[in-house]
Amino acid sequence: MNWLRCALSSSVGKKFLMAITGLALCGFLVVHLAGNLLLFAGAEAYNAYAHKLHDNEDLLHVAETGLALIFFTHLYLAFKLSAENRIARGRGYAESQSKRENLISKVRPETWMLVTGLGLLAYMLLHLADFTLEFRDTSHYEGLEPFDKAVSLLTDPISVVGYLAGFAFLFAHLSHGISSAFQSLGLNHPKYNAVIKWGGLGFALALALGNASLVFWAQGQ
Amino acid sequence: MSGQGMNLTLRVWRQAGSEDKGEFRFYQLNNVSEHMSFLEMLDVLNERLIKLGEEPVAFDHDCREGICGMCSLMINGQAHGPDNETTTCQLHMRRFRDGDTITIEPWRAKAFPIIRDLVVDRTSFDRVISAGGYVSVNAGNAPDANCLPVPKQDQEKAMDAAACIGCGACVAACKNASAMLFTSAKVSQMAVLPQGKPERARRVLNMVAQMDEEGFGSCTNTSECEAACPAGISVDNIARLNREYLKAVVFSDEGV
Ligand code: HEM
Ligand code: FES
Repeated sequence: MNWLRCALSSSVGKKFLMAITGLALCGFLVVHLAGNLLLFAGAEAYNAYAHKLHDNEDLLHVAETGLALIFFTHLYLAFKLSAENRIARGRGYAESQSKRENLISKVRPETWMLVTGLGLLAYMLLHLADFTLEFRDTSHYEGLEPFDKAVSLLTDPISVVGYLAGFAFLFAHLSHGISSAFQSLGLNHPKYNAVIKWGGLGFALALALGNASLVFWAQGQ
Repeated sequence: MSGQGMNLTLRVWRQAGSEDKGEFRFYQLNNVSEHMSFLEMLDVLNERLIKLGEEPVAFDHDCREGICGMCSLMINGQAHGPDNETTTCQLHMRRFRDGDTITIEPWRAKAFPIIRDLVVDRTSFDRVISAGGYVSVNAGNAPDANCLPVPKQDQEKAMDAAACIGCGACVAACKNASAMLFTSAKVSQMAVLPQGKPERARRVLNMVAQMDEEGFGSCTNTSECEAACPAGISVDNIARLNREYLKAVVFSDEGV
């Protein structure tokens, strides 16, 4: 298996892993959002979904382990690649200007992947602290059903601000991440390049707005 | 020539040798003709420095017509200056205005160590080529023309990739100092042609390995390289390299 280790530790191989883990995390986010959109369907449907999910304790653990593995691979490579890329430049330029003419945004989210990724990480830690680890004050939702717990957490002011910022980071990260992942995997062709570019952007926006809609909806509950 | 030329302030990176710390120095250059090329402007500066008994600014150049890839220079933070698909030797002073300050820096990359002033050592590119950027052909009679059919589209893709002059602007413009555009052009020009097929798996594996070994960064797909490339090499080639690499790892006999 030396060939595989060799391939995956090359610059191209690391970007393959980055792309695959990034897209897999997107897959998780879609399923996660789809489940949570059941909040709109009311307490009964949402609670039924939540209980059903947690009835399957073993399967859930397997899924969580897989997800953690994918996530930490992405995180580890993010730091490793960023460090290597910094060393590859060495002393930087006194001045630098883009020569690109077709910029979608002057902000160039592709140059901020580590920063937006770290923003995303901060949001995820807050989110896990809220829902999974219950690190913060739990008195508001002690003993409540999942639906009421979700509404309670989504109306907490720190969560509202933190989550909305997190979704903004998600949009920024994926506005480049999706199309970049396809390119890293070699999926580039005039037949479908426009679909990848605009579809990726649309997907990023849909994920961010879909999640944000839950926060806004909760304020009215 | 009519009227007065431009008065410019040049902010130039000076470094006496690879071990020297280096610093920016300012030079005032008056009456610069807008018809000069950028390198001619530097020639004028150097003549003046020589007259003053100072060291002239070292910079790379050869053909001065955009084909050899020797000229480099980061001009106001842009590789080969502000024009697209243009080398520094073909950049004209009419792109600048009277009173401008122009910052001139060398390519910056760990794999391109500075030799002196604005001259960097780009032999790392040569080693990437030696690692696989060739086709092995038996000596003997030349084969009949057209005995190997090449579809027109493939021929054009190969020619587009072969336009790379190896100047290193892609590395210079990339925030990661990645050589993916260069390497992918050199992989592509052969991978799409029948002559390049027999060695394609080994080629891409070895060239990528050498590229990493030289200390270039990895590709974040920012496309800055494509915009900086004086030969108009497209990032489509990078996707092709990624495909070639994946195919070589998964399906070829290399590395078993
Ligand atoms: C749910 C969370 C996340 C998703 C869905 C996601 C998705 C993606 C995708 C699709 C890419 C593009 C891969 C490519 O260019 O080939 C990417 C790249 C990247 N991600 Fe994430 N990511 C997530 C979390 C993070 C976190 C927490 C960090 C960081 C600390 C991070 C840092 C990066 C970096 C630095 C890159 C660019 C790597 C490069 O091009 O050199 N990501 N991400
Ligand atoms: S000097 Fe030959 S390309 Fe500029």
